[in-house]
Amino acid sequence: MLTTATASSGSGSRSPVRLAVTRFTQQPWGYLLPAVIILGALAVFPLIQLARMSLSEVGPRTIVGPWEFIGWSNFRKAFGDRIFWQSVRATGTFTLVLLVVDLVVGYLGAAVLSSGTWSTNLALRIMVFVWALPPIVSGSVWRFLLAGNGAINSLLGLVGMESVDWLSSPDRALLSVSLVAAWASLPFSILVIHGGLLSLPTDVIEAARIDGAGFWGLSRHIVLPILRPTLAVLTVLIILYAFRSFDFVYVMTEGGPGTVTTTLPYFAYNTAFKTYQFGVASALAMVSMLVVIVLAVPYMLGLRKEHAG
Amino acid sequence: MTRHERRVVGAAAAGLLMAAAGVGAASAGGSHVDGEGAETLTVWTYYVTGGQIDALDAQNEMFEQTHPGVKIDHVQIPFDQLAPRLLAGAATGDGPDVVLDNVVVDFPALAASGALLDLTPYWDAYPDAEQFPDSAVWRTDDGIFNVMSYTNLLAMYYNADVLDEYGIAPPTTIEELESAMAIVAEAGDYTPLSMSGVATPEGAWMFMPLLLSQGVGYCNLDEPSVEGAFTTLQGWADNDYIPTETATWDQADAWLAFASGDYAFGFNGNWNLGELAGLDFTAGTVQLPSNGSEGSVVFPGGEAIGIGSFSDNQDLAWEYIQSGWMSQEASLINFNTTGQIPTRADLADAPDLQANELVQPFVAAAGSTANWPASPNTAAMQNAMGQAGSAVISGALSPADAASQVVSDVTSEIADGGGSC
Repeated sequence: MLTTATASSGSGSRSPVRLAVTRFTQQPWGYLLPAVIILGALAVFPLIQLARMSLSEVGPRTIVGPWEFIGWSNFRKAFGDRIFWQSVRATGTFTLVLLVVDLVVGYLGAAVLSSGTWSTNLALRIMVFVWALPPIVSGSVWRFLLAGNGAINSLLGLVGMESVDWLSSPDRALLSVSLVAAWASLPFSILVIHGGLLSLPTDVIEAARIDGAGFWGLSRHIVLPILRPTLAVLTVLIILYAFRSFDFVYVMTEGGPGTVTTTLPYFAYNTAFKTYQFGVASALAMVSMLVVIVLAVPYMLGLRKEHAG
Repeated sequence: MTRHERRVVGAAAAGLLMAAAGVGAASAGGSHVDGEGAETLTVWTYYVTGGQIDALDAQNEMFEQTHPGVKIDHVQIPFDQLAPRLLAGAATGDGPDVVLDNVVVDFPALAASGALLDLTPYWDAYPDAEQFPDSAVWRTDDGIFNVMSYTNLLAMYYNADVLDEYGIAPPTTIEELESAMAIVAEAGDYTPLSMSGVATPEGAWMFMPLLLSQGVGYCNLDEPSVEGAFTTLQGWADNDYIPTETATWDQADAWLAFASGDYAFGFNGNWNLGELAGLDFTAGTVQLPSNGSEGSVVFPGGEAIGIGSFSDNQDLAWEYIQSGWMSQEASLINFNTTGQIPTRADLADAPDLQANELVQPFVAAAGSTANWPASPNTAAMQNAMGQAGSAVISGALSPADAASQVVSDVTSEIADGGGSC
């Protein structure tokens, strides 16, 4: 169609402007331009500003006025804060809990739900609902469930057990919040792994079963190796999700008791919006971003190399 | 870079920070004319309790009746997000017409950011200005940015039914309170005390009277005094006078616990007085028990009113503040609905206030308040104190370690804020 139209219109009769437009629209980057502009305005530009802010003196007095460049001072201040290293450890623990729960329980859950019966389909639908719940809502519900006189402790009382300080004990608070966050992200992991399981070559699975492979043997030697790319992407997504660990901390513990559940994003929030040190908070956000890049990019590059090989 | 460009840049950065922290974008504010021709004033608050909302509705209704053609649009913003949204608004040139902010924590930041309008010209021309004490007028070297029509203070609520059951008189000292709590704890039917101990300025506000009654505040913190107060707090947690979850309770949580009827005592503010009528038990109030030479001393609290710098109708906003908040009629509506104490001097002897026995401890507390530090880093100091108190209650830190940590943090914030206090 395009060839016919071009031939019939005759290139000799075209104005230079029309010709330029035609050439422009025939290039792939021309079609990419709207996306590039939107991405640049909504992602790249704010990121550049965040980087600028992290290198500038920005407080309530200066957020509107010109920002004075102060080099690495905000980063030094952030690294020198005792809460910073504690929040790094808390974020690490949070990430680890999410990885273990989402990958291990996620795989087992997806394996169970891959049978395709009406009950497993119903379970999958319920999980989509859980996944779609806003963290502020599910976090509030869990906060009430885990309260001293909440439903979980009431259940423990019914079986003769002592109440547990789920959210106010320094030994349990971080684990409790991490597990709730893992509960919220588990449906996503199950759905992703479930999708991967559906695409497994059935003939290979059947052959392995005929050869006597059980669930663990199948998983170890066939399913997990085939699912490796899926699990790799999922791992990166879980790490990204963990480094955004703000909502549940904010709703359930406000970073406490003390600063036990203060993760990096919550620390950045606290620094920016409770003590109004926007420059230092931007430095913390940059550090978070850097950690995610350091963790995720080599893994993805390695995976791509493996695929290419 | 032009002012407009700087605003765009500031807005982008503030937006990214808020997005990174999971905070939603600020809703649009400012006065406007709706389809029916009515002029709308946008008022931002973080009110959540029934009494405060009821009072606001009644005051707005009164204002709308006396100002036909004006509508008040009340926007409720979560407590923690009000100041950030105002600051983000300052970067974009947007914001409400009128705002009720948490002045004791956020004033230095809001006044410095340009989010609030300088009220000096309005205040200088206000005929009733002399009715308000200096503590109700919040100013910097650049002008007046907030005024308070009411003040909120802390006192101790008690469940009179529980105290009658155990033959306990309302305590006035910490020693008496601890004896009373020991009796209640030993009986085991009720929890002795509900209070906030969350790791934020809220928790610090509730804990600080233990130090203030010894003449110790943020500007003269010393480790032995703080350790002593933290040891008291730790003792309450260890003896089950307060539940461990106090370490994550804000004031609303503490009030809900007391209102459940399961607690003998509750430290809380006068803004809850309006809800006493709905409780299933008889409640009483006394000043916070003291443990030092200064008697019962608290920090004055409450919201202050300001006009957004980018309001399109600043004169109408001031008229709303004058008639809807600072006037005698509005102050009494507010008091009778919430129990929040008017700051107007000519209402001190008003029959409404005198007739209410439950409010008297709060009125007395208003006469023995401590001064807030005059430092731009006040919020950071309170935050550090809240974190230390929460850590002690939960057992995460010993009183000695928490005291050492908070004294170091507060000293450094004072120095960082310019050294003045």
